[in-house]
Amino acid sequence: MWLPHWPITRLSRNTPVSPDRPLVTVETIRGVRHLVAVGEVGEAHGLSRGQTLTAARAVCPALVPVDADPVADEAALGRLVAWCERYTPMVAPEPPDGLWLDITGCTAVFPSEGELVRDLRKRLERNRVSCRIAVAGTPGASWALARASLPPSSANVPIDGDGWLKDGYDEGAGVLTDLPIACLRLEAGVVAGLRRLGLRTVRDLLRIPRAQITARFGAMPLLRLDQALGEVEEAIDWPRPPLEWHERLAFPEPIGTAEDLARALARLSERLCSRLGEQGKGGQRFVARFFRVDDVAPEVGVSTALPVRDPAYLTKLLCEKLNMVDPGFGIEVIALEVESVAPMGVTQTQLMAAPDTSDELAGVVDMLSNRLGADRVSRVVPFASHVPERSLRRAPPLPVKQPSWVSDPASPRPIRLLHRPEEINVIAPVPDDPPIRFSWRGVAHRVRAAAGPERIAAEWWRGRRSRGRPETDLIRDYYRVEDSDGARFWIFRAGLHGEERTPRWYLHGLFG
Amino acid sequence: MAYAELQVASAFSFLRGASSPEELAATASVLGLSAIGITDLNSVAGVVRMWDAAKEVGIRLMVGARLSFRDDTPDLLCYPQDRSAWGRLTRLLTVGKSRVPHGDTSEAAKVTNRCFLYYDDLLEQGAGQILLAVVPDRLDDGFRANLQRLRADFRGRAFLAVNRRYRGDDVRRLRAMAELPLPMVATNDVLYHLPDRRQLQDVMTCIRLGCRIDQAGLALQPNAERHLKSPQEMERLFSAYPEAVLLTQDIVERCKFSLAELAYEYPDEPIPPGLTPDEHLANLTWQGAAARYPDGIPPQVRDTIEKELRIIAQLNYARYFLTVYDIVRYAEEEKILCQGRGSAANSAVCYCLRITAVDPAQISLLFERFVSTERREPPDIDVDFEHERREEVIQYIYKRYGRERAGIAATVIHYRPKRAIREVGKVMGLSEDATAVLSAQSWHAGEGLWSDDSVKEIGLDPASFTVRRSIELARQLVGLPRHLSQHVGGFVLTRGRLDETVPIGRAAMDKRTFIEWDKDDIDTLGIMKVDVLALGMLTCIRKAFALLGINNLAEVPTEDSAVYDMLCRGDSIGVFQVESRAQINMLPRLKPRVFYDLVIEVAIVRPGPIQGDMVHPYLRRRQGLEKTELPSPTPERGEADELKRVLDRTRGVPLFQEQAMQIAIVAAKFTPEEANQLRRSMATFRNAGTIHRFFEKMVSGMVARGYTQDFAERCFHQIEGFGTYGFPESHAASFALLVYVSAWLKCHHPAAFACALLNSQPMGFYAPAQIVRDAREHGVEVRQIDVSASKWDCTLEDGALRLGFRLITGFSQAWAEPLVKTRCTSFADLVRTGLPQDALVMLADADAMRSLKLDRRAALWQVRGLSNMTDLPLFATEPMVIHHASLPIMTKGEHVVTDYQTAGLSLKAHPMRFLRALFSAEGVLSCAQAAAQVDGTRLSVAGVVLVRQRPGNGNVVFCTIEDETGIANVVVWASLMERFRRAIMGSSLLKVTGRLQRSPEGIIHVIAERLDDRSGLMGRITEEPSSRTPSRPSRPRHPRQERIFPRSRDFH
Repeated sequence: MWLPHWPITRLSRNTPVSPDRPLVTVETIRGVRHLVAVGEVGEAHGLSRGQTLTAARAVCPALVPVDADPVADEAALGRLVAWCERYTPMVAPEPPDGLWLDITGCTAVFPSEGELVRDLRKRLERNRVSCRIAVAGTPGASWALARASLPPSSANVPIDGDGWLKDGYDEGAGVLTDLPIACLRLEAGVVAGLRRLGLRTVRDLLRIPRAQITARFGAMPLLRLDQALGEVEEAIDWPRPPLEWHERLAFPEPIGTAEDLARALARLSERLCSRLGEQGKGGQRFVARFFRVDDVAPEVGVSTALPVRDPAYLTKLLCEKLNMVDPGFGIEVIALEVESVAPMGVTQTQLMAAPDTSDELAGVVDMLSNRLGADRVSRVVPFASHVPERSLRRAPPLPVKQPSWVSDPASPRPIRLLHRPEEINVIAPVPDDPPIRFSWRGVAHRVRAAAGPERIAAEWWRGRRSRGRPETDLIRDYYRVEDSDGARFWIFRAGLHGEERTPRWYLHGLFG
Repeated sequence: MAYAELQVASAFSFLRGASSPEELAATASVLGLSAIGITDLNSVAGVVRMWDAAKEVGIRLMVGARLSFRDDTPDLLCYPQDRSAWGRLTRLLTVGKSRVPHGDTSEAAKVTNRCFLYYDDLLEQGAGQILLAVVPDRLDDGFRANLQRLRADFRGRAFLAVNRRYRGDDVRRLRAMAELPLPMVATNDVLYHLPDRRQLQDVMTCIRLGCRIDQAGLALQPNAERHLKSPQEMERLFSAYPEAVLLTQDIVERCKFSLAELAYEYPDEPIPPGLTPDEHLANLTWQGAAARYPDGIPPQVRDTIEKELRIIAQLNYARYFLTVYDIVRYAEEEKILCQGRGSAANSAVCYCLRITAVDPAQISLLFERFVSTERREPPDIDVDFEHERREEVIQYIYKRYGRERAGIAATVIHYRPKRAIREVGKVMGLSEDATAVLSAQSWHAGEGLWSDDSVKEIGLDPASFTVRRSIELARQLVGLPRHLSQHVGGFVLTRGRLDETVPIGRAAMDKRTFIEWDKDDIDTLGIMKVDVLALGMLTCIRKAFALLGINNLAEVPTEDSAVYDMLCRGDSIGVFQVESRAQINMLPRLKPRVFYDLVIEVAIVRPGPIQGDMVHPYLRRRQGLEKTELPSPTPERGEADELKRVLDRTRGVPLFQEQAMQIAIVAAKFTPEEANQLRRSMATFRNAGTIHRFFEKMVSGMVARGYTQDFAERCFHQIEGFGTYGFPESHAASFALLVYVSAWLKCHHPAAFACALLNSQPMGFYAPAQIVRDAREHGVEVRQIDVSASKWDCTLEDGALRLGFRLITGFSQAWAEPLVKTRCTSFADLVRTGLPQDALVMLADADAMRSLKLDRRAALWQVRGLSNMTDLPLFATEPMVIHHASLPIMTKGEHVVTDYQTAGLSLKAHPMRFLRALFSAEGVLSCAQAAAQVDGTRLSVAGVVLVRQRPGNGNVVFCTIEDETGIANVVVWASLMERFRRAIMGSSLLKVTGRLQRSPEGIIHVIAERLDDRSGLMGRITEEPSSRTPSRPSRPRHPRQERIFPRSRDFH
């Protein structure tokens, strides 16, 4: 399968491209930005790969350049690989923009190879993934056929309306010989060198004595040719071994509710566990994969400390993670597989997966998260901001990294910072001396000692966000004060004297 | 209580200080400070501008620098007390700068502004300096120890710069600082002149750190306190330590140094014993004059020389002239062609000294423009050298004067709107395409820059907070300095040590050194500068001269009518300055017949006259269609012919830069100083308001004196255009000489001229294919590249032009040497040269083995076959027959395309020839046929796109296409732009349908009505389906084989 505009496909799945504003990816080479991927819309606007961005802008000023991100492209390709496992477990990426699918023997599900290809194409097109698919007896031939374009006049090759080879056409030297040499998966330099010699098609290549080609262009051209013709076996690196412990469930109508998913998981667990039981085995790592209507396949995994094959327990573990699965517009297929299988006696042993005692905190966090909900357990971590209430953030409780609270001894922060500053009444000399006395929550405090001011201006780039809290937009002068009882407070004046608004005072924190 | 601010980082502490020297000086004066210091980070780059600004507002300036060290020495504010201490400070900075290796991008280099200093350096150069230690965040024992050391080493001259930080511990901190061993001096550690600038300063910090504003966190200042404060406020803030404020006055009084003391002295030139510089200069001048005028010096030239020598003696400039003379003499000895340009061409002395080449007898130029007794500005001589050999001249200057006495001036790179919005937008988190469209809107001037309307037009919401704030901040950023770069070639030479006047740093280019001040600073201080510039055409002319045995420009016969005939025909491809489309069109209209016409030709097709709408009036008057009339003031306001002196030479139409300035002076009664300010404010993008003020002043001034509003406005717009792109008359004259010489070469020695042009590439307007074509059309026989005949350069073979290996894309010069040495007569010879296979493939690809009886494909087959042959010598003695009968024969079309791909041109045929039948069937005319049609005919032509030009206002696109019969000029009006944009901007093979327009002078244009991109036909030439053939994706760079034609030269 060839995905001719993969980077653009990836980017435009989230932000649909308007036909007037082609999305292109760009890369900077020696200070000049060049187009890398253009997409169909871009091609229709006359853009082409390798163009400089300046030249491209001249042709189409409305283009939207995005930095090329090959890593993200490849990651997305990996996700597509996972999704394609609905057809066959033998799927491998062919970076940067292709996929290998070994569909040998997969016609049990689909009546024919053609049906499978049509189904695959339909689903991808529905998700705005443009692709070209060819089925052939060797990887090389399918690669060539998927990417070849031939003049409609070419003999004995079935051609569709666009001049592309029709999907599903089988291989054979008869077709391959008409294809350009570039279809042999060779480096651009080699292709150009062969073309310079007038060797344009595979047929031209076949006419030359093999030794002479090898002497001039190395082994690659003929190796690729032989691989395509099936003379030489080509090994493809399938990312995961075919799984024996694998169950799948397909739904006539896409499902999405948690209950439906849980029910489906229960049935899958049931089937899988009974098979495990038959062979006296248990699983330690299970992965459930949810094939969505769009070409995304989120997965959740559970691991247990000991082998398990109790369907109820397995279902419970899996269902706890269901909130991490976004069903999108619906899920069509669920697959459950065991990634780690171990022998397990007939005797039921300890069922509960014991929490890892070496990390008790993790156990506590797991427990709290399970009880309260994952989003309600958090840690407070420092955040780089001068504004006190913005200088901390909530973070996931784990993993614990060494907290980096660095307190500037010149401007210490209180142990307790009030969620919202509370307005107080203050008597203080102008313009910026510390207060003499203040009252907070109806109690008057006489200031015995004070330090300050520490002047903190608002974060101007955040715009006005006050929403009835004027103090957030004003310059604040903070003072540490100690009252006659020895209690220490952190108070501030919002605004400066001499400005339009009369400054007001607030209490923001308590020391010790 | 009086107060002087002594800790000030200006915008020359790049991306740290957020206010310009002018803003700081003006605010300090308004606040009533007794003086203001300037202490940029390891730099004095801003002091001259600050000094100028301080003079303007009448405040005392303390020049200094903030020294930041590599060892644990705290930062020190350093104020030299006198001239010699200043020299030590600049030497100190020079030493520090010289330590930073070229290309060092380390953090250390960044935080020290590329200047590595150590305490020992300070000890060495510390005499006479007043030092103020900057207190670090933490007062630890190390700092105390350092202060003890400072107190001991700089007894009575070391202080402590203390400030209120508003961090909550000011009181305690001040108390602790008062205990330290040095006396406290109050400062405010200023980063900007007004508190509002905090935002810009925050943004600058982010630009410097390369982060977004919401990610900058604690790297930003917590508040906006780092602005200039009034003495009263400082008194209040330091009420507990009034002596700290008072002490600022002591320091001000102790530092007597002012930049005014940097009296400049010209370098000494070797002068024969017993002679004064003036006498020596006079001798040289008269000797030169005798050589220049072998038939006797014309009396009027004699008078001019005498007058000039008098003025030079009076102003004591003789040594300056001798210095430049020495450089030019060196170039002449080394056979490096050079010519003075610019105002120096106004001088007969320069002509006699061979600094300039324009005969003052030929044009009436005014020495006063060059040197005047009123303007006490040093003369400014600019000399162009061959671009390939300028470096030799530069290194000669370094060698002769030493690195302590010579340096290249800096160029301050200011923020332009484009860059400002791009960098601010990035910091503010605007999306990349929003910033891109905003930056594309940056050509609006003044108030129109990113106006609400234009922002709406590009689909952004001007009311959105981020957009609005980004625009506001970018506007503030525009005009602030960004970094120092080196001037293109302005040398500053001194008699004494230059590094005792200004710090010298290393330039990005190895072996160059440059000073911290730019051209304006140097002018302000009255320091001499010689511009050593590079000009490609001089290289070309010298190469042509070398082929023809001509020694210098003066040997070319003057006023040759055949040359002018050629130019009048618009036959000027390759000729200096007049080869552009616009110039080729102008030539037949202007019909140059004498040298001065060329001067006008050079000056007239420039943005200045075009924007000022001066071109057509001039042409009409020249063609006699309109009477030459001089606008004049109302009689009671001035003499009717007050502009006659200014405009007489150009038929009443201002064409030259100085004419526009003169009009401002004569007609709008500007003072010369104001006129100069006007020019300067045009040259930079700053002070949009100032420009408007000048506009008012000039137009109302002229109208009040009786000129028409229209004329006044046109004059102003012309000055606007001149600001950056205008030519003064003397400069145009220098260029016109090169126009004449190159035209003379083209006219009489077309083969040598084309050869020299090809050997000087890249330069000029046209690609080698057009140069070769033009040469062939002028009857030059051109021979193809061949291993047994070519050299690296193109050469002449009995009058024919032999193309050189340099035309082969990617071929290395080193490979040419063995080829030339061997002069192969067989393929075996070629193999024996030991050239790498890559080189042989390129030669075969370029079809350069025909003399070995190998055509391209056979040669390629042979060469490729070498890869596995290990025993080359043995092999080479064997007869070489390798069967290649099964290779398809290469068609002629394929050959031509491959020629273009490998060498950028083909001598075999024009690619369009292979498509002619196809186009004829469509009714497309050849360019030659098209040119023969009558005015107004509707027709189609097609050809390869050579050049696209889209002049500034974007109303029109000019496009030149070429076929096998010639070229056609296509005009595409903006109204067609949207519909046919893709074809116009994107195609390499373009079909144009439109109307033929023929001017009275016979210039032909096709006014496009319809454009078709026919690039797809290119594949037909090779009879290869040009289809979407797949390949393993590689980096998006075209392998050279993929593109058929060299890229068109586009000027967007």
